[in-house]
Amino acid sequence: MVKHHNRRMARRGWSASPIRALGISATVLLAVAACGTAPSEQKSSASSDEPIVVGISLPLTGDFSQPGGEARKGYEIWRDQVNKDGGLLGRQVELKITDDASNQDTVVTDYTKLITEDKVDLLLGTFSTLLNFPASSVAEKNGMLYVEPAGGAPKMFDRGYTKLFFAQQATASHQPDTFVKYIEGLPENERPKTAAYPTQDDPFTTPVIESMQKQLEALGVETVYTTTYPADATNFQTIASAIADKKPDLIAQGAVFEDGVGLVRSLQQLNYSPKMLFQTSAPSNASQYSEGIGEANTEGVFYTVSWNEKATTPNNEEFVAEYAKRFDGGIPAEDAADAYAAAQVVQAAAEAVGSLDQDKMADWLHSNEVETILGPLAWDETGAPTSEFLLAQWQNGAPEIVAPEAAATVDTAVAKTPWQ
Amino acid sequence: MTQLVQALVLGLLIGGVYALMASGLTLIFGVMNIINVAHGALLILVAFVTWKIWSVTGIDPILLSVVMTPLMFGLGWLLYKGVLSRISGSSPGMSVLLTFGIAITIEGVLNVTAGNRFRSATPSYFSESYRVLGISLPKAQVFGCLAAVVVLGLLYVVLSKTWTGRAIRATAQNSSGAALVGIQAAGVAALAFAIGTATTGVGGSILSVLYPFFPASHYDWISRLLGIIVLGGMGSLAGALVGALVLGLAETLTATYGSLQWSTLIFYAVIMLVLLFRPQGLFGSRLRQDVMA
Amino acid sequence: MTFLESLRTRTEGRRGTLAVIAIFAALFLYPVILPFAVYEQGVLLLAFLMALMAVSWNIISGFAGYVSLGHSVFLGLGAYTGGLLAETYQVNPLWFMPLGGVVAFVAAALVGMVVLRARGHAFVIITIALLLSMQVLVTNFPSITNGSNGVNVPLPFWSSDYQNMPFYYLFLVLLLATVAFAAWIRRTKFGTGLLAIREDEDKAAAIGVNTTRYKVLAYAASAVPIGIAGVVYAYFLSFLNPIGAFALLTSVTIVLSALAGGRGTLWGPVLGGFVVSIVSEAANVYGGGSQSRLLVLGLALVLVVLFLPQGILPVISARIARRRAAQQKVEYTDQAGVATARTPIVVTPRSAPTAERAAAPLLEIRGAAKSFGGLRAVDGVDLNVEAGSITALIGPNGSGKTTLFNLVTGAMPLGSGEIWFDGTRIDKLPPWERAHLGLGRTFQITRLFKSMTVLENVVAPLPTASWALMAKDAVSGHEAERARELLDFVGLGRFGSQQAGALSYGQQKLVELAQVLMLEPKMILLDEPAGGINPTLVNRMVEIIRDLNRQGIAFLVVEHNIPLVLDLCDPVAVLSRGKVIAQGPPSIVRADPLVLEAYLGPEWLPAEPLPGAVLNQAALSVKGS
Repeated sequence: MVKHHNRRMARRGWSASPIRALGISATVLLAVAACGTAPSEQKSSASSDEPIVVGISLPLTGDFSQPGGEARKGYEIWRDQVNKDGGLLGRQVELKITDDASNQDTVVTDYTKLITEDKVDLLLGTFSTLLNFPASSVAEKNGMLYVEPAGGAPKMFDRGYTKLFFAQQATASHQPDTFVKYIEGLPENERPKTAAYPTQDDPFTTPVIESMQKQLEALGVETVYTTTYPADATNFQTIASAIADKKPDLIAQGAVFEDGVGLVRSLQQLNYSPKMLFQTSAPSNASQYSEGIGEANTEGVFYTVSWNEKATTPNNEEFVAEYAKRFDGGIPAEDAADAYAAAQVVQAAAEAVGSLDQDKMADWLHSNEVETILGPLAWDETGAPTSEFLLAQWQNGAPEIVAPEAAATVDTAVAKTPWQ
Repeated sequence: MTQLVQALVLGLLIGGVYALMASGLTLIFGVMNIINVAHGALLILVAFVTWKIWSVTGIDPILLSVVMTPLMFGLGWLLYKGVLSRISGSSPGMSVLLTFGIAITIEGVLNVTAGNRFRSATPSYFSESYRVLGISLPKAQVFGCLAAVVVLGLLYVVLSKTWTGRAIRATAQNSSGAALVGIQAAGVAALAFAIGTATTGVGGSILSVLYPFFPASHYDWISRLLGIIVLGGMGSLAGALVGALVLGLAETLTATYGSLQWSTLIFYAVIMLVLLFRPQGLFGSRLRQDVMA
Repeated sequence: MTFLESLRTRTEGRRGTLAVIAIFAALFLYPVILPFAVYEQGVLLLAFLMALMAVSWNIISGFAGYVSLGHSVFLGLGAYTGGLLAETYQVNPLWFMPLGGVVAFVAAALVGMVVLRARGHAFVIITIALLLSMQVLVTNFPSITNGSNGVNVPLPFWSSDYQNMPFYYLFLVLLLATVAFAAWIRRTKFGTGLLAIREDEDKAAAIGVNTTRYKVLAYAASAVPIGIAGVVYAYFLSFLNPIGAFALLTSVTIVLSALAGGRGTLWGPVLGGFVVSIVSEAANVYGGGSQSRLLVLGLALVLVVLFLPQGILPVISARIARRRAAQQKVEYTDQAGVATARTPIVVTPRSAPTAERAAAPLLEIRGAAKSFGGLRAVDGVDLNVEAGSITALIGPNGSGKTTLFNLVTGAMPLGSGEIWFDGTRIDKLPPWERAHLGLGRTFQITRLFKSMTVLENVVAPLPTASWALMAKDAVSGHEAERARELLDFVGLGRFGSQQAGALSYGQQKLVELAQVLMLEPKMILLDEPAGGINPTLVNRMVEIIRDLNRQGIAFLVVEHNIPLVLDLCDPVAVLSRGKVIAQGPPSIVRADPLVLEAYLGPEWLPAEPLPGAVLNQAALSVKGS
């Protein structure tokens, strides 16, 4: 599941200024002696003992501070585990993390500074696609490998970049594939006959729902309702009553978070419970989601996700244990796991080519599979991943993985129960 | 058919709440000739405080308006005395900028203290509805609308039956005339601003239950409320009520038969078209100072 | 005029010019000296962009006084124009810079034609609504704009070694060009017209300024630099989405920058753009990130509006001016000097009424009526003013005299009836076209542009609607000479460089008359020319009016000083309750019982006509009450 906390920014831009004017007075600037060398001449300094510096800009404050903070935890756990195991290519790893304040202008300035002024050896990606778009451009301009833990909008990979890799299983349009397969595997009489597809107008939910609608129609599921609502919609009663009017078997909603909770609540008020409910991101917000709609009402809700705490993937157990140790026994957020996985990808590439040569690392990633805590990841020539998301379902008040089989934590999916 | 009736009923319920929220804004404009852009931010401020108290103590959020209203009255008084009274008489552009600055400041304070997250108070009755002839009336909406109607009624009584209220209305209609009969304009303006702000005490409490909110939500709300009072006629309480019901209905009908994507545009379109072609709105005096040409 | 000269303004002086040159030279050299300070360059180039937008905003909101709170809409338009075309055709977006400017210009002109009818609160709110509507529209038309998915712009074509340096220079050059553009506008007649609109829009229209054209053009002109910069911004950012490109907070930052630096000044917005950038960056670096940045922005806006509404630059230059003023004493006007100083002058009305027209009256008002609510202020007035006459219009207070003036000059729309001037029906024409036909007016309470100098005031009127005239220097050549002659003529030649607001009331009346004469009018409407000024100046005024009348200018005079009216005017028309109740030579009107009734009330009806002196006294006492 691609999480993409852009919804706050999506409040018609009131909160996100592209021009937060940055500035230092000319006089101050002239006094600052920031001498340097041309960016293209700098990368030969792979001396043996100095630590490898990894540059990252994260939204530690502002609209995306929540995933940004989680990503930082993931990166830091990775750094400490690598250093404990003797480092990367025999060198210690150091993270240089700056705060881009969830701002597109700042993220550009930050990555530019990391590459050209701080001359970091490696980069890791930031959070939210809105920030990864411009940040990956900076990296590509400078010939730096850029592995991003978030940012699965299909458009990201239309740009023909050669150094960009997305460290999750699939882009947004392939997110529903596991769910569609699951439907396909059901006996004919258990399949939904009709479906409603409400989705937020959002670069990450819309492709998921559009792709699902197309695939399910191919399976013969009749579409009875579609609508796209803006990011600032807060009142879902009208959509809920329109859906209730059509009585679909399946509701598949492209929900970020609040809208997911909002629609379910409105459906409860109208007392319409579909046979199946799929939502994109909302249900993965564990306790927030179950508190929002009531724990009893979560039973049987489907969603897709990139990672699961119980997965038996390499390093996953250590990661979960370390996270719990550091943060009061907490369960890692998906964002932290995605960041950890992105770091694993870079690590694997460096180790495989035996150097920090950015071109060679990118070439290697284009033709090899990497084992991460999310499972095995592989990429096509555009950097889009070619694996599959996990299909998750709420069962008895807890999220479980029902497919694919290799990652499943329970044997079967359960039926959705009516609202309590 | 059921769908239409359902949409109409929901629209009216929403409209009642909108009317309450818009009443303070239109009152302030009527008396002071200031568009208080911070009105939306004050609503969100109240919603947040209400949510906080509810989540700690479990007291019903709508009931909490009994506490929030006097608090907001005090805050309104302070805001007027400390900030707004300093610019009385300067250009309209400046007063809009000033209240905009206040709005952003409140948003900033909420961002720092409360964090940039969605909140929503969910008392037990939230997901329940009354069902009448196949139409469902969500309890939260019904309670919110009832509270709004009660407060609007009280406001009407205060403005028409008390001396203070009559002074406020007199100033709104003709400030120099009011001064002639011994009404102190500054005192009345402070009162009007305080009362206008006090309405956010109720409005914000209802908002905390009906709509998820976060610090920057105030822009959505001020756009909506401006649309309402521009349509109804700036400064007119009756206009605010009618404008709120009309736009509440328009919003649910567009969402039902069109798409929610376009329902936000309705408010902007109303603001632009009404100001350009019927500046006095349905009931009010002209907001637009016309270019003499 | 050299480029640098054009950047220099009256208030900032020589030292200021040197400082500006030094700072910009340093900014130009900076990347040459420290080519790899990429971060600092990135920081600076965004400050350039902010300053550029503030300077542009200043054209409509600072010069013309129409505060726009949605100006970033043009950044979004420019960015989307460049970004979409570049993405579609995979070409360098910089080719679309001119197109970005054109799109912004056209959009602003179209929108401006509608939106600029509103002023005050309404204009501010409409500009916000416009910006947010654009955001919704761009989001909701994905087939054209990619909707919320946004636009990917190709990467820069230059070697990555150059980093942002090309952007740095582009924005710097664009900023300077924008400042030069604004400076040029400020120097032209167009610029003076905008200031006139800011100070007193109705007055501006009365002296021949086509306010609609001026405002629309100013709005469009203020959009162009931002539209061009928007294309560069899209290229710089490499990714666009509706929310970021059409952000309200950007608009607020623009306004804050221009306000803090000094609205209406040339360099103030540049200074403000840089200062706001520093504060914002400092808040980010030292103040705990972006959350506090929002707080700082809000507080800064409140504080600037409350305590620094003029802006930094005007406060500084006022301080410098005060220091200078302490050294050289301001010269004050002596009334006697005014009364004696006289230069003969020839004021020729643009064309003497033609032979066949001469038969018809110069101004003909037929059945003019105007109501306010239930009150019929002007109730079917028929009135003629013959060419070459000095016609008086008298009547008690509230009888509709000033309203009638407003109807004739177009300051108010006529309710019903017709007004003809020199063979043209004018009651549907906008005020400036009536001025262009040769109809001038003065006001009961003088309405000079108080922040301009006396000379600037006198050259402000526009006798024609020509576009070329707009681009001419405001104070130059023949016109300035003519203005000085006119000032000499009214006896105020020495005060040309004084601020108009500093003159005495009587002097302001004379300046206003000189101002009207710039229009080369055929007819002047004088609203209480002798009201509130001392007797010496009254005599002076009378002489001037006679002098002008001999040269062929007709007058319609509203005046309460009845002896003066009877002495100066012929014929006299009496207005009461919106109707003309008597008309004719002074001697006849003076004896008309209806006139007495109008002045003294219906109970007071004399048995026989009274001598003029009684009426005079009665009228004066009524007026005084």
